[in-house]
Amino acid sequence: MKKKLCSLMAVLLTCAMILGGCGGGAAESKAAASGGESKSDAKSDVTLTYYSMWNETEPQGQTISEAVAAFKEKTGITVDVNWQGRDIRKTLQPALDGGQQIDIFDEDVERVNKTWGKYLLDVEDLAKKSYDTTNGKPLTDVINKQLVELARSLGPDGKLSTIPYQPSSFMVMYNKDIFKAAGITAAPKTWEEWLADCAKIKAAGKTPITVDDAYMASLFGYHMGRLIGKDKTLAMVNNKKIDDPAVLTFGQQWQEMYQKGYISKNAAGNIYPAGQQEVASGNVAMYLNGTWLPNEIKNSAPADFNWGSFAYPAIGKDGDGTNANQYGAQCFGINKNTKHAEEAFKFIVFMTTGEWDTKLAENSIGVPMANDATWPKQLTEAKEVFSATTIRYPWAVGMEDVADINAKIKTNFALLVSGKLDAKGFADAMKK
Amino acid sequence: MKTKNKSMIIFFLAPSLILYLAIFLYPTVRTIVMSFFKVEGVTDSISQWKFNGFGNFQTLFNTPLFMSSLHNIAMIWLVGGIGVMLVSLLFGVILTSGVHGKSFFRSVIYLPNVISAVAMGTMWINYVYNPDFGLFSSVLKGIGLSGQANTQWTGPEMVFWSMLIAYCFGMVGYHMLIWMSGIERIPVDYYEAATIEGANVFQRFSRITLPLLKGVCRTNIVLWTVSTMAFFVWSQLFSPVNLSASTVTPMSYMYELVFGASNSAVTVRDSGAGAAIGVILTLVVVAVFMISQLIVKNDDVEL
Repeated sequence: MKKKLCSLMAVLLTCAMILGGCGGGAAESKAAASGGESKSDAKSDVTLTYYSMWNETEPQGQTISEAVAAFKEKTGITVDVNWQGRDIRKTLQPALDGGQQIDIFDEDVERVNKTWGKYLLDVEDLAKKSYDTTNGKPLTDVINKQLVELARSLGPDGKLSTIPYQPSSFMVMYNKDIFKAAGITAAPKTWEEWLADCAKIKAAGKTPITVDDAYMASLFGYHMGRLIGKDKTLAMVNNKKIDDPAVLTFGQQWQEMYQKGYISKNAAGNIYPAGQQEVASGNVAMYLNGTWLPNEIKNSAPADFNWGSFAYPAIGKDGDGTNANQYGAQCFGINKNTKHAEEAFKFIVFMTTGEWDTKLAENSIGVPMANDATWPKQLTEAKEVFSATTIRYPWAVGMEDVADINAKIKTNFALLVSGKLDAKGFADAMKK
Repeated sequence: MKTKNKSMIIFFLAPSLILYLAIFLYPTVRTIVMSFFKVEGVTDSISQWKFNGFGNFQTLFNTPLFMSSLHNIAMIWLVGGIGVMLVSLLFGVILTSGVHGKSFFRSVIYLPNVISAVAMGTMWINYVYNPDFGLFSSVLKGIGLSGQANTQWTGPEMVFWSMLIAYCFGMVGYHMLIWMSGIERIPVDYYEAATIEGANVFQRFSRITLPLLKGVCRTNIVLWTVSTMAFFVWSQLFSPVNLSASTVTPMSYMYELVFGASNSAVTVRDSGAGAAIGVILTLVVVAVFMISQLIVKNDDVEL
């Protein structure tokens, strides 16, 4: 009898442990919530949970850590940062679905607004208020308008539900010293100028451009946008048929790039980040990439690397001009179930304006959000491109929306720029 | 006595049984059910699931990238399997034949298993396959084959084979140990008797070692199947940001379907299809296990 009782107890205990384990999150969040509720008037004594897309060790994470401490000192509000890194795309949704207390989270503007849109709190009203660091103006008046509009247009029901920060734009990032040595005085604006500049760079003993597997689809997307325009390019993706006659033109133009030795001989076999390492090593002049590139390769490139940027050149008369570029940002979102929306928003304002906006941009060689902030010197030219952008390309001009199309571009473009396919072979293979 | 036993059985089994049910059986059943539904996010509540019949499976089999992944995994299993089994058996036989420095060589061959696959992958990609300063390119240049030295080992034509070689390199040691344990169980008397009768080394291998290794062979095939079906890390290493037709495997495709792509936030997510891939892989493993049971019959020999 005693043993039976024992075994029964053991079973119960195990059940309790398992259930306890499963229910832990909920119980915890309840306790935290009630703790917060009772002190909700004393706004300074609140603990916010922030699921971060950064790792604590990267420049953005380090800066946010410091900002959190400064925020606590200034407002008394504690921000408990849960460093998820890029794993957040796997971990956030289960955590939110499980009812864990998360007040703030962040990721790419499209992922936060589209994939996680249903968890977002509408922040239109909060953004209309003025804060310590906004000089008596609404937040939306002091930060980059283009990006606020982007966040609003992607937000659920067209409502501003996220606040962008760490903006980025996609353009040709280049080594100004190589351009100078090759005698190039102005960045190319058309395909003819581009080819002429490539010839000069080649003559100066350097490789004009490289690419790697991660960015081939972006290159193809941009080039097609310049040949036939954004809408027709996106239509090909929607129809899942890369069959526009201009694909052949693309093939011819990049076949010429290959034949003249303008693209790195390693491009076809470059596995990310091999392409950008070629740029860092000073052998390759140009690379179509994001404004985050100077930060990404700062450890392998010389400290005085002379960065320049220009928009991908205009190509065909039916295509977009240099005013069409991809741009985006990371975005802070607030959980719609939060008990501390005001406090959470206060922290977001703290991060996107004033001292910490500038510091974040400086430390990550990134773009600041506030209109009056200065951009890092590596991105001086990028600012001009960004300001002149009037048409926004989606990421890779849609070429990565469908994994099949992306894979097809990667295979065939690599074959094209290694001479295994000619222009016609490329266009035919893309049609299949 | 009987009742005592029962309570003891319950006492010892209950914790693991409950854990098994909660941690293995529940997700397994959920995945199987999910594979018949249209589900976007893996944690979406069941009320958001839409019944889709065999739709997920149909979609998958009409997706070129999934078909590439099946083709890749079949080649990894077959070509890699034959290569790894032969090389590891060869090493196993050599090391059990009484060579000097057995434990040293055993450790050296097993070593790649101890090193993280990510470190191994980085080594292969950067120090072996690099077209400028990699091992292959330097060696080929050194022996005067400059044409071959310019091969893009990680270009679209070669990357699959490069990945396979790198993967198999790490797997040989593991299977070698299993072969060795099997060979060492065979009584030495057999070999002594055969040697006295005049059998040479090849005869001893084909008439004694091989027939007595049937069970071990089956174990190796099943273990190889299980580990190749889970082929994921190497696929990610050779296409770190988004999927390529030459390196995609069902697991890496499943990962992208369930969690989305890392570069592009708008790549379509489809956890239902992801679950369907899981179901397909399970069926493949079970089928291979059954076939290997049929082909390699249990050895009746009592050692």
